[in-house]
Amino acid sequence: MLTKRQNLLETIKGGNPDRFVNQYEFMNLIMEAPLGAMVGPGQTIKNGWGITFTWPEGQLGGFPIHDDAHKVLKDITMWREQVKAPAVETSDEAWAAAVAHANAVDRNEEYVTAFVAPGIFEMTHHLMSMEDALMALYEEPEDMHDLIDYLVDYELAYAKEMIARLHPDCIFHHDDWGSQRSSFVSPEMFEEFFVPAYKKIYGYYKANGVELIVHHSDSYGVNLVPSMIEVGIDIWQGVMTTNNVPELIEKYGKQITFMGDIDTGVVDFPGWTPEIVAEYTQKACEECGKLYFIPNLTQGLNFSSFPGVYEEATAVIDRLSKEMF
Amino acid sequence: MSKIEEVKAKVEAGKSKLVPGLVQEALDAGNNPQDILDAMVESMGVVGEKFSTGEIFVPEMLIAAKAMSKGVDVLKPHLAGDGSSKLGTCIIGTVAGDLHDIGKNLVSLMIESAGFDMVDLGVDVPADTFVQAIKDNDNVKIVACSGLLTSTMPALKEAVATIKASGLTGFKVIVGGAPVTPEYATEIGADGFAPDAGTAAVKAKELAIA
Repeated sequence: MLTKRQNLLETIKGGNPDRFVNQYEFMNLIMEAPLGAMVGPGQTIKNGWGITFTWPEGQLGGFPIHDDAHKVLKDITMWREQVKAPAVETSDEAWAAAVAHANAVDRNEEYVTAFVAPGIFEMTHHLMSMEDALMALYEEPEDMHDLIDYLVDYELAYAKEMIARLHPDCIFHHDDWGSQRSSFVSPEMFEEFFVPAYKKIYGYYKANGVELIVHHSDSYGVNLVPSMIEVGIDIWQGVMTTNNVPELIEKYGKQITFMGDIDTGVVDFPGWTPEIVAEYTQKACEECGKLYFIPNLTQGLNFSSFPGVYEEATAVIDRLSKEMF
Repeated sequence: MSKIEEVKAKVEAGKSKLVPGLVQEALDAGNNPQDILDAMVESMGVVGEKFSTGEIFVPEMLIAAKAMSKGVDVLKPHLAGDGSSKLGTCIIGTVAGDLHDIGKNLVSLMIESAGFDMVDLGVDVPADTFVQAIKDNDNVKIVACSGLLTSTMPALKEAVATIKASGLTGFKVIVGGAPVTPEYATEIGADGFAPDAGTAAVKAKELAIA
């Protein structure tokens, strides 16, 4: 039996996996790194960038607040005055828990995986709201380029510290680039603003010992796949069924692997049942096949919003591995 | 190209810095203000259609809506009557428990650009608040309710049911949001469904003048 790591490599390189890669099993996620304050259920916090997030009780996630009192960047042309990056944590104490976790991982079995969020596109709209950020790409492109460069420089500074401490084999990087029906920006605009940014970021990780880049965007993104390949993404996690994943595998599988195709919206809700999870998981596995595909809820971490759904999908994938391999 | 044609082209291209001047030039050239407004509404119809078919994306739609809004600012003092919309008022909000406002804001922009007066109730709107807003506002023709999450679909159903059970008349209810399908919209008693912001504007107009 192949290790989780070997089985992943066989799957993404078009070899001979002996089972499905089961969701996030190959990633041992190091969540203890000092990435900055993250909002939890029932909390309202201000992070190091000054962005206020709230997560009201009963909701499935947190949101940045963008009323006039809370918006960090009120005028893109003033970003140099209004946006101040926090300091990257460099103390041993701040990194101790993450280092201990990374050191405890059997790297023959699993990838030590650093989690990075939010991404560069998300940071632009967290700072100034989605509407302002998208309009600024047209109205003040030079300032947007400069702001994006500033955000990239910050991530590279964080990456340098993180790599020195954790020596990750894999980066799991969030940046949602679309809705379920379309990318937020055109491929041309994406190419102009975000491809250069991610070439620098993912290029830096790969040049410093990272073997695998897994990028999360639980969205449509067919029109961005060539760009994903160009910036060095090995696995697109969160790929929704609206992308026609079997077709993507056929067209791009040798260059990028697709992880998802089980939309959280249809399986992860209060009235979920094992039968519903089995139906959609089986459909994904049967339609997408054994190579260049990892069956997975499109959720951006290794759990579900409603208890039991993630574990049920894992059990179904195990069963299907026995039946299909 | 006539001045009105120029206004149309620049609205569609999202040239918000140019449109106000062009609208003024069109007025100075003796064009009827209502004709200029109709031309801009028509442009936004094209923008909505291009968005629905994937030809353009959210930024292009946003800058076009901004360009139209700048043009309307110039036009308003010249329009007949109180400047209120001939299509009526549209009340919009996300349903109780749903805090996702980006899609709702886009729909609001596009419906406004189609020629409605908008009353935006924001996010997490209880069903009764939709009903109260219908009572509080004049000439309500459309009530638009959205829910992004599977878990807020019951609240969408409740909102539609409460609005329909209120006994108030003279308006139609449209629904939308990521998990909503035409079948679900029909099942919960909505009058219309739209999968995206461009289609929402077309549907709202269609229902308001029906």
